[in-house]
Amino acid sequence: MKIVVCVKQVPEVTNVQVDPVTGTLIREGVQSILNPFCEYALDHAVRMAKQLENAHVVAISMGPPQAKDVLLRCLELGADEGILVTDRQFAGADTWATSYTLAQAIRLAVPDYDLILVGKQAIDGDTAQVGPEIAEILSLPQITYGIQIGLSPSGRQVRVTREVEQGYEVVEAAMPALVSFSKGEMVRRAPSFRDVLQAREKPLRMLSAAALNIPEEELGLKGSFTQVVKVFPPPEKKTGRLLQDLEAEEAAQAIFDYLIERRFIE
Amino acid sequence: MHEIQSKTVPSVDVKQVKCIHGFEAIQRDYPVYLTDESKLSAKPFDYLWFPKDELELAAVIREMSRLNIPITIAGARTGLVGGSVPQAGAMISLEYLDKVEGLFYDPLLEEWHLRAQTSLSLKAIDNMLQFKQFPSLEKHLDEWVRSNFARFKEDPNNYFYPPDPTEMSASLGGSVVTNASGARTYRFGPTRAWVRGLRVFLADGEYLDIPRGKYFASPAGKFVISNSRGEVKSFNIPGYSLPRTKSATGFFTAPQMDLIDLFIGSEGLLGVVSRVDVALAKREPKISIIQFLDSEDQALHLTHALRSDGRLQLDFLEFYSENALKLLSDLQIAEPATVGMPAIPPQARAAIFFELSFDPKQEALDFSALEETIASCGADLTNSWAGYEPRELERLKVFRHLLPETINAIIAERKKDIPALHKLGTDMAVPDVHLDEIWQLYKQRVQEEDLEWAAFGHIGNNHIHVNILPRNLSELEKGMVLYEEFATRAVALGGTVSAEHGIGKIKRKFLTLMYTPEQIEQMRQVKLAIDPQGLFNPQDMFLGEVAQ
Repeated sequence: MKIVVCVKQVPEVTNVQVDPVTGTLIREGVQSILNPFCEYALDHAVRMAKQLENAHVVAISMGPPQAKDVLLRCLELGADEGILVTDRQFAGADTWATSYTLAQAIRLAVPDYDLILVGKQAIDGDTAQVGPEIAEILSLPQITYGIQIGLSPSGRQVRVTREVEQGYEVVEAAMPALVSFSKGEMVRRAPSFRDVLQAREKPLRMLSAAALNIPEEELGLKGSFTQVVKVFPPPEKKTGRLLQDLEAEEAAQAIFDYLIERRFIE
Repeated sequence: MHEIQSKTVPSVDVKQVKCIHGFEAIQRDYPVYLTDESKLSAKPFDYLWFPKDELELAAVIREMSRLNIPITIAGARTGLVGGSVPQAGAMISLEYLDKVEGLFYDPLLEEWHLRAQTSLSLKAIDNMLQFKQFPSLEKHLDEWVRSNFARFKEDPNNYFYPPDPTEMSASLGGSVVTNASGARTYRFGPTRAWVRGLRVFLADGEYLDIPRGKYFASPAGKFVISNSRGEVKSFNIPGYSLPRTKSATGFFTAPQMDLIDLFIGSEGLLGVVSRVDVALAKREPKISIIQFLDSEDQALHLTHALRSDGRLQLDFLEFYSENALKLLSDLQIAEPATVGMPAIPPQARAAIFFELSFDPKQEALDFSALEETIASCGADLTNSWAGYEPRELERLKVFRHLLPETINAIIAERKKDIPALHKLGTDMAVPDVHLDEIWQLYKQRVQEEDLEWAAFGHIGNNHIHVNILPRNLSELEKGMVLYEEFATRAVALGGTVSAEHGIGKIKRKFLTLMYTPEQIEQMRQVKLAIDPQGLFNPQDMFLGEVAQ
């Protein structure tokens, strides 16, 4: 069985600081990491592969050359092979152009895939579009918000437990299929030092735009339906008004007056 | 030069300094100042001062000196021996003195120095250095400070401040007067090794600026301090030898010692540190590894092997005993999300946690030396956890802190039924050659006494924290007897009764295990020469009254 896991390099957002003057992100000192939801997807892939014979996990990422770091991380965490789809022509790609490029890379580099696993979204863009778009482009059944994965008793279908608002549902799909993952009850892996060293011995290759055989107008900014015009933090919320050192009755009256004044009640 | 002159600051009216008067008001409105991390309780005291700068600090000291009111000095109150818990008189909380004053390059030592007020936290320093974000320097009024900071920002290297006591909310000044150490002391030494300058306010309200490398004891062991009024204090440094381990027990002394070293680790008995200059080290990429092992003996074996292999330069070398891992495994079953790590291998009976330089971007990684050393001890690198991304390093650090937190939680639960219970955590260290012997003693005696226990900590410095978890008061009693037995043995082996926590109020009797009455008297004479009224922290370090 061949399992492809699409992964993305994202900034470590817990450390991101916003410049108070310009309102832009301070990039200095901010680390890049494997998107956590992609890590959950990879974890499911590795777990599944360990239970199957002849399973092979391929991690694939589209990004700048430094995105190689997250593929190395995937190899440490148990992927067997890494593919970095990288080219200057990909710059400015929106979710559609990214999905199209990744789908084409999967078609060409791993044509015999059985499953494509993705994180439900990346923590930087938060669009949650790339996984479903890849499934559409490749005409695959897709199951989103998965938290558990396995094969049906016949072994021919994938069986996924997915989060829904009311609880969970278990659904099956014919393979090949695409599954996106939420966090679920996952405890993240910790590679051994042996894994870290051996990851450097595993195959990690690059694919350029030329290798993908996609017309130039379908790539990057040119191939994008949308453009990011500006990124800015949400406006700071005004601090509320705190009523202190008042008797309950006085406080209630003050709140009542405020609601009247603002016409919340009449 | 062994003579130094103190200087004055302009007077300000002490009435303008924020002060809470009376124990009742302090209890009612400022209860957090009634204890510190040691959980020792304050006795009634009458003043809680909050000076906002050095001028106000000097005014408070002068006023308390005039009224002959003893002062307890408090930084972030993270100490474990009750140093900042008042027993009478006044408390000066230095928390408002928390500004960064500058970053300067020392061309002679070829290193960057950070100058900060005493209460800046170590965590804040780490954060600011990580991002090179120092808002107060960016807008500093002094052009020279601004230009030095600009130069620092342009430096392509990243820097960090190496001392890393477990509690990073500790204040810089607090870490200096306790000579704090932590895991990385294994490679970088304790706080002392990084202090390049101090400003200390003395009991008369005047201050000393002490750069490292300027004032040394005379060949006869004498220092002379004069003040602006022409008064002269002279004293001899103590004549004892220090243990051949890291130590936070009593005053530092050495032939022709640097005056700065007397104040570092003096537990605030000699003056109030208001400003500190520390050196910074280049930040390098690291990897942390927790190596699981088959036995505690294998852990000791591996410790010796890692220490003696000249090819390996580890930043820290920490230990988990079998029962420490068991505590964490139990926690993992009960609360997997709290632990946040994969299952601890069930066959693991001990672990060693260490860190070394590691550049993940290097094409070819050669760690054959480490692989050979691990294999030579019969261990397997497959049974390890490794992390090098900052968040993974942090994850492993959090895992390390989980053990003392778990022990504290267990004791807190037991205290609900038996309020007098408390944990007993040893803090002794011995020289390298006696590691096995002291470990065998710890293990044999706690097992003989049938006590619940777990051991962890700085095995690289032969400084294992044996934590005894008494289930009742009789076990607490037994544990305290054992503690003294361990301390006595550590001293007999050339070690120290306190490697990092200090003496404070709680461990005063252990000072007498390590030093003779004559040697303690030598320390007391230093205290009395510099602080004749016994104004500063008079209940700390020595048993009985300090002032004569």
